[in-house]
Amino acid sequence: MPTVAQLLSAVPAEDDAPPATPADEKLRALFARLSLRPVPTGALGRFWRLTGLHAKIGLAYGMHWLRGWFQNAERQERHRLDTHLNAAYRLLETMGYLRGAVMKVGQTLANFPDIVPAEFVDTLERLHFDAPPMHYGLVRELLHDELGGDPEDVFDSFETEAFAAASLGQVHRARLKTGERVAVKVQYPGIARTIRADFRGLTALLTPLRLSREWESVKSRLDFIRRALEVETDYEQEARFQERARALFREDDGIVVPRVYSEFSTRRVLTMEYLEGSHVREFLAGQPPQAARNAYGEKLLRAWYRLFYAGRMNYIDIHPGNLVFMDDGRLGLLDFGCVIEHADEEWELMRIGDRPLTTGRRDERIAFVKQWLGLPPDAPEDESMRLLDEYAESTWRPRFAGGEFDFGDPQEFRRAFDLVLQMMRKRYTRGRPVDAYITRWDFAYRSMLYRLQARIDVRPIAEEEVKATGWDRSDYALSI
Amino acid sequence: MRITREARQATRRGILDAARRLFAEQGFEPTTTRDLARTAGIAAGTLFNYFPTKEAIVTALASEALARGRSDFEGRRREQASLEEDLFAHVAAGLRRLRPLRKFLQPVLEAAFSPASAGADDAGAALRSEHLECVGRVLAAHGMDASSPLALQLYWTLYTGVLGFWVADRSPKQEDTLALLDQSIAMFAAWLRGSSSAVAGNGDHNTHPNP
Repeated sequence: MPTVAQLLSAVPAEDDAPPATPADEKLRALFARLSLRPVPTGALGRFWRLTGLHAKIGLAYGMHWLRGWFQNAERQERHRLDTHLNAAYRLLETMGYLRGAVMKVGQTLANFPDIVPAEFVDTLERLHFDAPPMHYGLVRELLHDELGGDPEDVFDSFETEAFAAASLGQVHRARLKTGERVAVKVQYPGIARTIRADFRGLTALLTPLRLSREWESVKSRLDFIRRALEVETDYEQEARFQERARALFREDDGIVVPRVYSEFSTRRVLTMEYLEGSHVREFLAGQPPQAARNAYGEKLLRAWYRLFYAGRMNYIDIHPGNLVFMDDGRLGLLDFGCVIEHADEEWELMRIGDRPLTTGRRDERIAFVKQWLGLPPDAPEDESMRLLDEYAESTWRPRFAGGEFDFGDPQEFRRAFDLVLQMMRKRYTRGRPVDAYITRWDFAYRSMLYRLQARIDVRPIAEEEVKATGWDRSDYALSI
Repeated sequence: MRITREARQATRRGILDAARRLFAEQGFEPTTTRDLARTAGIAAGTLFNYFPTKEAIVTALASEALARGRSDFEGRRREQASLEEDLFAHVAAGLRRLRPLRKFLQPVLEAAFSPASAGADDAGAALRSEHLECVGRVLAAHGMDASSPLALQLYWTLYTGVLGFWVADRSPKQEDTLALLDQSIAMFAAWLRGSSSAVAGNGDHNTHPNP
């Protein structure tokens, strides 16, 4: 079994990285210090200590991501960039909460059983639920400030102990005076503003890069991440996404997005319908029959196809804590704090990508990869293109191959994982700002289906759902 | 003419009500003692029989607000609450009651609350002692040594730091103060438990916080 140190060294490794620079040395030293230091808040401090392992992985990704911006610079620029890099690391060191947000990236790893040691996954998975709560005194003050009264006055009943950790806060069960059971998500005070301020600081610090060739890429990446953070730290925005998503599903879909109670919601408090059920671990512990696994897997697939095709959004945060296996067989989707909405330009690319996705033809896939990367159609096929194509093939095969696909096949899963790692090492996941999120989303759903060991005929579901786009697909049949 | 105790109380009440209104309407600095006396319906000189300075009036208002906060806290205290929750709720209840005074509390912070000047002002000393008595009761209820001057001094230092921060806090709904208070209480409770276990582990050793 690998040690934590080995895992860490594996994550940010660069196959083709240049020899260590002073900045690299500083990174290592900084990383060692950061991993020992608590986030400077009470609740988060406790969370941080509990999630040390988790945090280290998240940080490794954060560093990798940050350093990735600087890799393409010309040699003569490296020294100058090193200076900025050092400054950026220093800033990262002083950040209060953004490190916590970066840490969230590490949560995705909780979805990868077998790849990392079982104990490691268990630890990560529990953290979705066992993060220590804010005590009730603090929750009461927050709710009083946000909703204008103490919880015991605003609600018919309110459980003083949180039942789940949530993005930047925690969730309490309660009952409205009108009788509905609800989940009340409460954000830790000041955390959203601090994250945004941290991010502004980071952006300002990187401004000297504007003269470099990397700047446009850095800037669009920063803008993209800033927008994602805005949503993640603003429960009102999250509520809007959630309501929009909720409207996309009908009763017979068997997929539920909880209703938002906007009169009991603010930027820092989100009150929604409570969904009774279990999470994936308890579901699997009951040794469900294959049919039940498949049924939930199909619902998960349908959910993200629906959100994507009809809603033009990607639901990124597929982790065990956000899926509820309801007692009546329905699947509940929680937490719309990490949702990517596709702008027109991106959506047009998605439309173009639909054809190779559907036909599975390599020439069409390669043409699309070039377009995605902003390369001319006659650009020569290089290693990055081949790797991206292989990744796309692996990701989309369940759909274009037709027939039942075994998502529980360990070889298939390991191949997809290896391809992602290779792409990350070679920094091919950075074609467009949205790429990092798409990879995360893609991998998260795939690993959830792997855990379910689901066998699903993907194509009929996808073909049914894609109709919502209104795309002209009349000539596709010839290519299949 | 002899003034009855009731009449004296009523005059004092009238001054405090006038002060609360005028400070809120026109601010602390621009409000003169003459304005206060006129609004309270008394002679300017009479006001000084009750309060030597405007700051003393604010201290009295703060003291009243904190007393109401203590009462709120006691009234809704939960049996299952942790030490941290109780300490937090006590301070938070006081802050909630102090909120209408927040804008003009700054001038009296030094005199009435500062750990360095404790005891210099009778009203300030009383305010401090009432607050700390409540803290002592909370500590005792959680099986902690409630008589340790070191612990209470450390607590008071953290508390006044939070108060000073709160007065100047420009974050929405002073949410940053809640985070700071949460952290400060957690730090204090951790120190307190550390001290207790040090005592338990060292018998009569001089690490006792209350020698």
